[in-house]
Amino acid sequence: MTFETSRYIGTGGPGRTRPALQVISWVVLTIAASARVTSAQGVPTFNKDVAPIVFARCGTCHHPGGPAPFSLLTYGESRQRATLMAQVTKSRFMPPWKASPGSGPFVGQNPLTADEIELIQRWSTSGAPEGDSHDLPRVPQFHEGWQLGTPDLIVTPSRPFTLQAGGTDVFRIFVIPVPTSTVRFVRGLEFLPGNPKVVHHANIRLDRTVASRRYDDADPAPGYEGLIAHSATYPDGHFLGWTPGQIAPLLPKGMAWRLDPGTDLVVEIHMQPSGKTETVAPSIGIYLGSDPPERTPVMLRLGRQTIDIAPGDASYTITDSFVLPVDVEVQAVQPHAHQRARTISGVATLPDGTTKTLIEIGEWDFRWQHVYRYVAPLRLPKDTTLAMRYAFDNSATNPRNPVLPPRRVFWGQRSADEMGDLWIQVLTRDSSDRRTLVDRFRPKVLAEDAIGYERVIQSDPNSIALHDDVAQIYLELGRADEAATHFATSAKLKPDSAAAHFNLGTSLAVSGRVDEAMSELRLALKIQPDYARARNNLGGLLLQRGRANEALDHIREAVRLEPANIEARTNLAAAHAVLGQFNLAVEAIETALRLNPTESVAGLLRLRREAYKQGVLPAR
Amino acid sequence: MLRYVSAALVAGALVGTTAYSASGIRLQTVDGVLIDPFQTPSGTKAVVLTFVSVDCPISNRYAPELRRLYDRFASQGVLFRLIYPNPAESIDTIRRHLKEYGYRGQALRDPRHELVKIANATVTPEAAVYATSGQLVYRGRIDDRYVNPGLQRAQPTRRDLEDALSAMLAGKPVSHATVPAVGCFISDFLR
Repeated sequence: MTFETSRYIGTGGPGRTRPALQVISWVVLTIAASARVTSAQGVPTFNKDVAPIVFARCGTCHHPGGPAPFSLLTYGESRQRATLMAQVTKSRFMPPWKASPGSGPFVGQNPLTADEIELIQRWSTSGAPEGDSHDLPRVPQFHEGWQLGTPDLIVTPSRPFTLQAGGTDVFRIFVIPVPTSTVRFVRGLEFLPGNPKVVHHANIRLDRTVASRRYDDADPAPGYEGLIAHSATYPDGHFLGWTPGQIAPLLPKGMAWRLDPGTDLVVEIHMQPSGKTETVAPSIGIYLGSDPPERTPVMLRLGRQTIDIAPGDASYTITDSFVLPVDVEVQAVQPHAHQRARTISGVATLPDGTTKTLIEIGEWDFRWQHVYRYVAPLRLPKDTTLAMRYAFDNSATNPRNPVLPPRRVFWGQRSADEMGDLWIQVLTRDSSDRRTLVDRFRPKVLAEDAIGYERVIQSDPNSIALHDDVAQIYLELGRADEAATHFATSAKLKPDSAAAHFNLGTSLAVSGRVDEAMSELRLALKIQPDYARARNNLGGLLLQRGRANEALDHIREAVRLEPANIEARTNLAAAHAVLGQFNLAVEAIETALRLNPTESVAGLLRLRREAYKQGVLPAR
Repeated sequence: MLRYVSAALVAGALVGTTAYSASGIRLQTVDGVLIDPFQTPSGTKAVVLTFVSVDCPISNRYAPELRRLYDRFASQGVLFRLIYPNPAESIDTIRRHLKEYGYRGQALRDPRHELVKIANATVTPEAAVYATSGQLVYRGRIDDRYVNPGLQRAQPTRRDLEDALSAMLAGKPVSHATVPAVGCFISDFLR
């Protein structure tokens, strides 16, 4: 079911200045807390010793209405959980911070010191006394709702989702259209979980196509479970996500990302049942800026989709690496894996052989999928090797193994499958370096995606959407034969679809199988005679085969059907030229030039026009 | 609500007919009636006392499992009672909690931890199973879903409470008399 947006709110007001002040007051509190620990002697009390730690380190989530399951801000609330606080701080389950010391420093990296942990132990075992009320520091104020100020746009699912009382964690994808009729530039998103007791984290992507909406429509309940469409991506190299206590700051000026009309937010939400039936209705606030981006980051991804872990294998390892073709600044990283991953490591090896730890997690917990933002960007020179190494435990002794007795497990997006990715957000010096980096990186990540698709297709062989998606990937990779194989399957699954035969014909043409290509295009035209692009491509192939008169008929028809089709006009010119009708060829090129082609196409068109004017055929 | 009223009335009417040795304590039901938590109607084969609390997430997540066990064993002579040991939780709060989480069985408050001491319960949720002789047969976790507060299995590999009840009803010995439970510490409620 596709969501509608329920509200549209006007320009955000002056509430924006609040977060900056809040950050400052946190820093002050944190310092105060550390100072107090060292001065604590004898039996610690809540008011003097524990409250400063709780207010600074726990209160962000554990306040009334906050994302944690209970508040700890008053003595009564903390006292009732003193032993639990001592237990979970000692085990470092709380405050939740999975990255090992040695990577970072990261924004929000604020683990308790050994002294603080020891103090909470002593307070708990001494009967958790309250102490003198004069010692109690000012209780921090947390305002509910938007932490980044009033958003410019707020979108919510049109219907809330009902989460069952029991059972295992639920991962559900909600597709929410953004109501904008013009291009906007986004400085930030804030996610309000709606029901923080059950919403554990959210990952947000953008889909500029209808692919995600189709998946959602196929499921009658709000949202859907399953694959994230290939077209749903992080926007312009920016992470969009939420974990309790972690709100991504607004982007600085010049770093906004572009939001086109017709875009859907694809919001993957991890929910943990609470014991009773729960209603989940998140909202997403969008903060707009007025300026287009001056710098756009690149999202790199290391990881393997070849994952295939035998049952019982307690130390299955994947590794991946990429050599940077340009200098970069690493802004943030986000490791992603499912339940069987145990250890996670990302390392940069510089050309001089020195290494920098990007991220290290000794005990991976899929429930805490943080984005780790470096306090200061990590500068890495050209020729640095980025590498990742993840270890998985598919044995029965792994308490997090979701399938017992263990079974063979492959790569896949469902929570019972496994994944192993390290997302790395980098900035390049300029747009030319950015282009170099993207050109080098994209084929690598697409080839990995193709492996994942092939795996998923093995278990879902009749999904036309999967075959079409992977065929597009193969076409972009220049592997037209493999593209044709998948388009052929789509055409077999949907023999009455003109588009399926067109796709197959076009991919066959790209791989040089002209006769087969022509016969598929003719099939497409038999189903849909007014299919302009099929006519045009068929005309182009006939021209290649020297059948110019026949070609001209098809191309003329394509131009008649789609007068603004630049490729059809270009083919028309070529057909006329082959037949010696150079005046008509020049005329067709000039019409094409008036149709606002991109600068690179216009350049090619001008070259052709010059050749035709001189009565010669341009070099192919 | 009617169910609790009638359960209390039945229990009241059967005073003296129970096979249990009297504990000497009286706990308040959500209807304000004081009863002996070990008092049972005739035909009862076992009493399960489950210690729970209102805003302990681990305790709450067991509500569907406790309902499942009630549905499986209540008709076989197993009496289920929920014990609320946190004095801060009022009758109204408990009534709302029972309704929201769909608990079954009678609920009792134990604000002075009298029953906590008899059963030696340490956390919520924790179950104590008593035989008709008044003997403690099993005390501990409901199952092994939680390894510790920060580590949870996707599904339990041992269902200790269910296994204890099945063994008892089959006249077999219970394999483990006590198994530590994971949850919110009861001792913190009474400071």
